[in-house]
Amino acid sequence: MVLPPVGVVAAFIGFPVVAAIAYTLGKTGGPNSMVASLAQHQHVAKHGVTLAAYREMLGDHQVLGDLWATVWVTVVAVLIVLAMSWTIALYLRLRGGKIAALLSGLSVVPLFIPVVIASYALVTFYSVDGFVRTVAYNLGYHSFPTVGYTLTAVVIGEVWVNVPFGVLMLSSGLNGVPDSLIEASRDAGASLSRTVRSVLFPLNVIPTVIVATFTAIYVLGSFTVPYLVGPSAPNLLGVSMSNYFSSFNQPQQSEVLAVIVFVLAAGIGAVYVWANVRASRRAGQVA
Amino acid sequence: MKAHLWALGAAALIAVCAAGAAAGSTAREGKAAAHASKTVTINVYVSGDVNVEDLYTKSLIPGFEKSHPGDKVKLIFSEHGVNDTTTLDRIGAAVKARKWPGIDLVDGGLANTLAIDGLATPMTTAKIPNLAKVQPSLLTPVKGAALPYRGSSVVLAYDSTKVANPPKTLDALIQWIKSNPGKFTYNSPNTGGSGQSFVETVLAKYVSAKDQTAMVNGYVPNLESDWTQGFNLLKSLNSDIYQGVYPNGNQAVLDLLANGQIEMAPVWSDQSLTALEQKQLPSTIHLEQISNPSFTGGGAYVAVPKTAKNKTVVYAFENYMLQPAVQAVVVNAMSGYPAIAIKYLNKSVQSKFSSVSPNTLRPVYSTKMLTDMNAEWQKDVP
Amino acid sequence: MSAVEQGALHAAAPAARPKTARRVPLVARALETLLVICLFLFMLGPLIWLAVRAFAAVWFFPRMLPNSWSLEWWRTVFDSPQFMHSVRLSFEFAPTVTIISAAICIPAAYAFSRYRFPGRRTLLISLFATNAFPKFGLYVSMAGFFYSLNLMGKFLGVVIVQLIGTIVFMTWIPTAAFSAVPRSLEDAARDVGAGPLRVFFRVTFPLAAPGILVAIILSFLAAFDEAQGTFLVGVPNYITMPTQMYTLVIDYPQQVAAVFSILLAIPSVVLMGFARKHVMGGRLAEGFQIR
Repeated sequence: MVLPPVGVVAAFIGFPVVAAIAYTLGKTGGPNSMVASLAQHQHVAKHGVTLAAYREMLGDHQVLGDLWATVWVTVVAVLIVLAMSWTIALYLRLRGGKIAALLSGLSVVPLFIPVVIASYALVTFYSVDGFVRTVAYNLGYHSFPTVGYTLTAVVIGEVWVNVPFGVLMLSSGLNGVPDSLIEASRDAGASLSRTVRSVLFPLNVIPTVIVATFTAIYVLGSFTVPYLVGPSAPNLLGVSMSNYFSSFNQPQQSEVLAVIVFVLAAGIGAVYVWANVRASRRAGQVA
Repeated sequence: MKAHLWALGAAALIAVCAAGAAAGSTAREGKAAAHASKTVTINVYVSGDVNVEDLYTKSLIPGFEKSHPGDKVKLIFSEHGVNDTTTLDRIGAAVKARKWPGIDLVDGGLANTLAIDGLATPMTTAKIPNLAKVQPSLLTPVKGAALPYRGSSVVLAYDSTKVANPPKTLDALIQWIKSNPGKFTYNSPNTGGSGQSFVETVLAKYVSAKDQTAMVNGYVPNLESDWTQGFNLLKSLNSDIYQGVYPNGNQAVLDLLANGQIEMAPVWSDQSLTALEQKQLPSTIHLEQISNPSFTGGGAYVAVPKTAKNKTVVYAFENYMLQPAVQAVVVNAMSGYPAIAIKYLNKSVQSKFSSVSPNTLRPVYSTKMLTDMNAEWQKDVP
Repeated sequence: MSAVEQGALHAAAPAARPKTARRVPLVARALETLLVICLFLFMLGPLIWLAVRAFAAVWFFPRMLPNSWSLEWWRTVFDSPQFMHSVRLSFEFAPTVTIISAAICIPAAYAFSRYRFPGRRTLLISLFATNAFPKFGLYVSMAGFFYSLNLMGKFLGVVIVQLIGTIVFMTWIPTAAFSAVPRSLEDAARDVGAGPLRVFFRVTFPLAAPGILVAIILSFLAAFDEAQGTFLVGVPNYITMPTQMYTLVIDYPQQVAAVFSILLAIPSVVLMGFARKHVMGGRLAEGFQIR
């Protein structure tokens, strides 16, 4: 019964992944022969494999700049998403009422907006003649800084796109904490922040880890938001990957970047798996 | 319980949509087979800006279908460059597997690549009689495997209300940019031809004539060190560019001009003339060509993948595009240059091109040199 | 979670909200309002700003509203048959993909949930891991592979490409949904004499339904938004909406993107109203835990 989805993934993703990794190591035969015949600046392995492509990319100062930009944008975006999601989810759980329902509705909106439209809306909002600067101008600030087309704008965009998932996940996790526990903590004299710190947060470490890892993986590989909203340089790795592939006709280098993103994402995924297994083991569910 | 009902309702709704879709698609695919004996449809992939799309949908396709009843042309339009490599891979894989790539005619930068890489059918006068009218120099960059059907060049656009004396040479332009920071921009070369031409022009200033010809005619990566001086100059302009950001694409630059946010920019002649006509650019924007060196220009090509279907109809379409009457339409609708020699057009059209015609424009580098140039620009400049 | 917590979980119905009788101090009230306003500006501001532009003819900085209004751009969008056609195509593909995904993944989810076979966790994780490889790097090999399978340009080919992106949602979330259904209930039903299929449809499925609904919605959205892979395989007949949108946003003046954003907001709002009750405060968190 398990075979169909596993089979589909193995065939249509697994096989191309293996071919792509082989290509980065210099193997230009078989499934890679088509793209290899059109590419420029390839490193071909004479026998065995070669790491020349990796050496080229990891030694290139621009690629390293892009890598660094991607990493710090990811970290900042994840932190802000967590902060915002926790705030909204806590408010929902503890306060309730119409305002909470309104907040929850607002925070889920981005999930249903196609990311191309969202990026475009964001860049016009924060651009030189966007809402932010227009309001500032009319209030007297004639040289308010422009956020559009900077890495800050990319962070804002990524946060905007990922908050819905964070809110959904955390509110679902917080919902799993019974009222009785919260009431008991308050009755024992704990303040609100103490309750959050000692009761709600420890019970929701896993949803927090989930939000962090999924957001991180999304931002690492994202293309549309940085392409439409970001600066000319440094680019996020998703945009660089596309440039190397389409504009510079260097698909091998593009695949190298893909592998780097994959390794980073897999590392984060490993953290996620470890956290899960540890929690399950603690709860006595796993041998 | 209620959730149960919602889930079933959702599933039912989705099932209906899917059934309709599957039925529709099999019907579509069946219909295509059934009609094979009567109407022939060729698929044209066009990659470029909206003015090219309009040329096809408003002029070329209706005109062709009217004069060739029973032949239909289906247009697949894609924003300049975004899907080019994907399509190129697709055509390459198809030609290799000797299968139909789903596309019979390609228009855009990748037509050049197909021609040079041997994936396109060579053009001969036997297949396309009107080929004889085309200026031969236009056929050299594509090794005779693609057909030029119009020409265009990059020019300098400027706001005449703000710029009284526009610069006439490249040096004057650079000087102007430096003395008027924040009033000029160009799109990143990998996203649009106008910015790409600007970059190439700056580089060309410092390349010897011999090396320049080599770069135009072939792929000579070892000569790329000639570009260093040009790239340094471009890098020094970073702080004078509007907002310090290079826009994505030709249209974005035109938008900035139209909104009055910049005063000068390199633009495509045909795209900007059309925009002026349609009032998308205010009439205060004027165009002119610089010299020493001038911006680049050349032919726009279409190519036929080797495993295309219905080639007779495709050749008929290409022949149609080169008819003098249709070339006049291209000139008027797109404000472009004709690909056939001027003498074949009627007098009123000829007068527009007394001083400029596609083969007197400065040619741009070969495709592979351009991709290397894009990569170097991204590394060295922003 | 321990047995006590499990019990408490079932006792606390998701619909109940804490109703504190404490007075809310003014400062807290003010902060709340500020929070709502900020969130409103942050989330909806960009969309509304763009939507206003759909009706603008001329709009220069620093005006808060357009200099002049016009409906011309609406006509441009509606006059273009290929835009509307691609939207319709998207609405044909996404449901099909969701159904097929559900059909092959839900039984697998049931197996993952109920049977502890060796390699179970490895398989679950590998389904997740393969999704982490940037799809962009796969299209090259995919083209060749699809050609050899004669899937290029075919309906089934596009379905497969979009299907791949939905598998993670459709296996992980229903697995958790099924796991949350207490076996005792199933055993009780079986004791009373119900056959296994009956038990599934009358006991297991209704209880797992909210989680499955969430999976369906997320999968639908994933399939709907899929752009590059669809273009690779779908040419010439199947160009969907996301690919068209790149063209719109980059090649046309801003007003066209604004018009399209309003058009797309309508089905989005509908879908959201439909789903919100079950998506918010539901079982989503459990869906992503590996048990």
